[in-house]
Amino acid sequence: MLEPQHESALAHVGEPSDTYISIREILTRGMIDLRGQTADRKFMSVAKNVLGIDLPKQPRTSHSFGEVKALWLSPDQWLILCSHSKSAVLQAELASALKETHALAVDVSDMRSIIRLEGEGAREVLMKGGSLDFTDGALAPGYVRRMRFAEIAALVHIVEHNIIDLYVFRSYAQYAFDFLQKAARNGTQTGIK
Amino acid sequence: MTKPFRLTEGGNRIDRSKRITFSFDGRDVTGFAGDTVASAVLASGQKLFGRSFKYHRPRGVVGLGSEEMNALIGVGADAQHEPNLRATQVEVFQGLVCVSQNRWPSLRYDIGATNSLVSRFLPAGFYYKTFKWPRAFWKHVYEPLIRRTAGLGKAAIGPDPDSYEHMHVHVDVLVIGGGLAGLVAAETAALAGAKVLLCDENSELGGIADLTAGMINGACVADWLAPLVVRLTDMPNVQLLKRTTAVGHFYHNYLMAHERVADHDPALLAAGAPRQRVWKIRAKHVILATGALERPLAFANNDRPNIMLACAARGLLTRYAVTPGMNGVVFTNNDDAYLTAFVLKKAGVNVQVVDSRARPDGDLVNQAQAQGIVVSLSSVISAVEGTSSVSAVKIASYRKGQGRVITERKVLCDFIAMSGGWNPVLHIWAHNGGKIKFDEALQSFRPDTHRDAITAVGAANGTMSVKDTIGEAHGAGEVAAKAVLKKAKAVKSAKLQVKEPKRGALEALWFAPATGQANEGGKHFIDFQNDVTVADLELAQREGYESVEHTKRYTTFGMATDQGKTSNLNGLGILAEATGKTIPEIGTTTFRPPYTPYSFGAIAGALTKELFLPVRRTSVFEWHIEKGAVWEPVGQWRRAYTYPKAGEDKTQSIAREVLAVRNSVGLLDASTLGKIEIKGPDAAAFLDRVYTNTFSTLKVGKCRYGLMLNELGFVMDDGVTARLADDHFVMHTTSGGADRIAAWLEEWLQTEWTDYKVFVTPVTEQWAQFALAGPKAREVLAKMEPDFDLDNEAFPHMSFKLGKLGGFPVRVYRISFSGELSYEIATPTGLGLSLWKALIDAGADIGIAPYGTEALHILRAEKGYIVVGDETDGTTTADDVGLGGMVSKKKADFIGKRSLEQSELTRRGRKQLVGLLTEEPNEVLPDGAHAVAAVHDKPPMKTIGHVTSSYLSPTLGRSIAMALIENGRARMGESISFSLEGGKVVKAQIVDHVFYDKDGGRIHA
Repeated sequence: MLEPQHESALAHVGEPSDTYISIREILTRGMIDLRGQTADRKFMSVAKNVLGIDLPKQPRTSHSFGEVKALWLSPDQWLILCSHSKSAVLQAELASALKETHALAVDVSDMRSIIRLEGEGAREVLMKGGSLDFTDGALAPGYVRRMRFAEIAALVHIVEHNIIDLYVFRSYAQYAFDFLQKAARNGTQTGIK
Repeated sequence: MTKPFRLTEGGNRIDRSKRITFSFDGRDVTGFAGDTVASAVLASGQKLFGRSFKYHRPRGVVGLGSEEMNALIGVGADAQHEPNLRATQVEVFQGLVCVSQNRWPSLRYDIGATNSLVSRFLPAGFYYKTFKWPRAFWKHVYEPLIRRTAGLGKAAIGPDPDSYEHMHVHVDVLVIGGGLAGLVAAETAALAGAKVLLCDENSELGGIADLTAGMINGACVADWLAPLVVRLTDMPNVQLLKRTTAVGHFYHNYLMAHERVADHDPALLAAGAPRQRVWKIRAKHVILATGALERPLAFANNDRPNIMLACAARGLLTRYAVTPGMNGVVFTNNDDAYLTAFVLKKAGVNVQVVDSRARPDGDLVNQAQAQGIVVSLSSVISAVEGTSSVSAVKIASYRKGQGRVITERKVLCDFIAMSGGWNPVLHIWAHNGGKIKFDEALQSFRPDTHRDAITAVGAANGTMSVKDTIGEAHGAGEVAAKAVLKKAKAVKSAKLQVKEPKRGALEALWFAPATGQANEGGKHFIDFQNDVTVADLELAQREGYESVEHTKRYTTFGMATDQGKTSNLNGLGILAEATGKTIPEIGTTTFRPPYTPYSFGAIAGALTKELFLPVRRTSVFEWHIEKGAVWEPVGQWRRAYTYPKAGEDKTQSIAREVLAVRNSVGLLDASTLGKIEIKGPDAAAFLDRVYTNTFSTLKVGKCRYGLMLNELGFVMDDGVTARLADDHFVMHTTSGGADRIAAWLEEWLQTEWTDYKVFVTPVTEQWAQFALAGPKAREVLAKMEPDFDLDNEAFPHMSFKLGKLGGFPVRVYRISFSGELSYEIATPTGLGLSLWKALIDAGADIGIAPYGTEALHILRAEKGYIVVGDETDGTTTADDVGLGGMVSKKKADFIGKRSLEQSELTRRGRKQLVGLLTEEPNEVLPDGAHAVAAVHDKPPMKTIGHVTSSYLSPTLGRSIAMALIENGRARMGESISFSLEGGKVVKAQIVDHVFYDKDGGRIHA
């Protein structure tokens, strides 16, 4: 039997050691892109039944229940996070439960790479690549938003105050990693308070 | 050299316990920690720092800081060299290497200085007047000559080894300038609760507090400020950035600042710090506390080394204990310069004052006389003796409006400190449209109104008194905090006892008459950096350059790297006097960013080398590298162009890959193709509108090739769409069109067809997708343990299967861009490399060949398949490329339909896609070559069309090409001529554009 080997975009790079924050790839996460209309009660309730959480309606927020999280992407789009091994099953469950509803659930677990920034200075490093104000108190755990980072599209999800996940399209993972490694190099701290 | 230029005591910036040795023009100079290159070199007794731009006149230090226009130096060796830095700002460190500029062969013996001897022939507009004829000389003689003789420093050679970065920051209040006004405003705003960023271009905060007269609560201004700086440093809501110049102000209070992070300290650089950093600042409110710059005075030969601004002389003594000489003359039209006389006298320097005013009455003037300083009133300097330094001046009596020298006397001296008054620094204020107004008392411009939330305080606002500055800064800090915070805390202003001298009025002095009838005693420089004199400005006026903007460009006054910091107003004063107008009537020129020049390295930031341009990688990227693939950039993607084996050149490897697909089987990484999932009850109707052909009739499980037009009726994209379910499709786009088409679909849904229930989700990167193509493709696929039937009837051309290949979840589309039996196999990207390797293994024994984009292109060209962007150019219709049959006649509407009725698009004789066979079979026409109606000896020749694709076909063993030719389909069999470079003519016959397997049997095999 042909056995598939899963390989991440950054499988061949190690965790950098000369940086003032930790930068590493998150490999275990599955992702589902879910589309539907918040005004559609049936859609919202089916989604809740399957996922165990209300889909967030507020821009730039996320809800979570255990390891399942729903990140707001746009007024009719969410990124559902779950473990990588369960994404296919969860996608099938969603698709089947939403059969009679106008909705679209696609397994996009391999579409993005996730790079976790952790440590004092994680926010500073992100501010070297994008115009978002990470010192703003509104950027608290649970905050999610898409942004331009360095030269590419990215999504940030604040997990804890100093743990931030950066989602980039997989083909750009190496670029994002190289940029982060450079921006977080020891000695480049800006001294920002 | 015996004079003690460094005094034995004093110097608030230097640390005498730390000796520093550095190199200036190859000579070792010793100074102290805290010195600038200017102070240390002057302390060593050298006055000469460089040669001027045009006349190569010897020049020395004039200014105190960033306004320095003469003493420009190049710093650092080789690739780290940075030219045109101001010696007054460059801090010394052990091992620093710097050089003077614009001199050859050396600073002291400069050949270009002969320009001075012929300066009478180098007036304003010299280049415009002189280098006109002959035309052929412009490029090859005049320009190289001018570029060699005129100029500043030299650019570094080689790639810059240092690193740079950008940093974004958002603040409530940005304070620009860390002098008295800025520090007070920052503290007030911070105490009120605002998040404050303060940046200052200097290495120390305090501005020129240490050079200012006045006492606050019994302490001098600098001592009063010291604890304030400590308080600010400790506040959690305040960020202080030293060595950081605000270089530009843009819309919505977006500013850029340039921080010289490690230029002053190689240890920081060694510890990994970026050399420089650009701050991109978004401020809710800006407080401009940029202070004021002292004006030079225009007198004959006012550019000689050791003639400096009064504040610069004062600063050299106070900060570095360096005196420019032992016998000085202070030349002024205002009270402030008297402070310099006091500092000099206290240091034991012999000094006298020349004041152009008849009856100055300020406290400082009286104090000078009380101290026994000789003050010559109603007097000006009419001449300066000495060339590379000052040996004497002539002092003439003067009254306002007098144009000539009547009597003069000679006074020996070795330096001159001059002051023509102070100009508020308005650059940042004016960058983004701030209005300015003329202030009679200052004889200068000051801020007026601004559309952005920006407030000028202190000297930048024309407020020169210490007391008023503190009050104004406190008020501005409070107002700014209130404007940006929901609840600002009230900040009480401390009770302050401020004592400062009462100042007498300044009297404008734009021109000091010189020795000789027509002021021929020497040059009165206005713009030192660009060598523009009073005579140049007056000449421009006489020649009719009435607008100040024209005068500026004609004479280049204010256009040097200092952006007119010291010259702008003096020039306006000269123009006003020359025309009999007032300065406000003359108007001002535009202030442009940057305030001071900064390096390209800093502008590029981190985005250099591998970060210069993002490179997109497919899951097979590393494998391609291992197999020696040659890359082709496709958008930001890198795709394998071909895989040459040892001993093969690219032509050979491409031919091998093509033949493998035709005769056996090949494998292509097609992951970059755009993929979009489209679902909803109206999905089929939606596709009917975005494609020219019909998709509502497509059966589930089947694929259809679609053609997309833009509203103008021109082809914009193509690709195969598969129907996954009644209401669910997956669309393929071109690689380049992936993002654009997804956005295009979303836009139509969101703005025009809002009633349609359709979701569009781009999934390009979710899938790795490989084309397995060739007569033996089925054989390979069969070895991959498919859980579906591969039989031709069960799995015909233009259908697809969802299933598994062993453990791989796959979508397999039987579609072809090569004309062969072909499967495009998609699997989640993370499994891509693994599947690719499995396919290569499965096909190994039948010689499977990975093939690249060039083989792909040849294969499709042999079949006459178009590539959007090759066969189309944005003005090409479906009919033009022979796909008129794909444009539905039945559908009520689709994007572009209406435009197809336009006469230009329906007219006969449009260029149509045809095939070409050259008469000489090995002759490959160049891409884009034009066919001509008739061949002439030389152009112009009338074009009748052009080559869109052209290859040597390994399958056919000859060249093939496709072309868009006027009325091409009616000209089958005709021979046409292509006129190529060098007079070469290639003849080709027009044929059908399908060269291979015309009946398409192979695809269905």
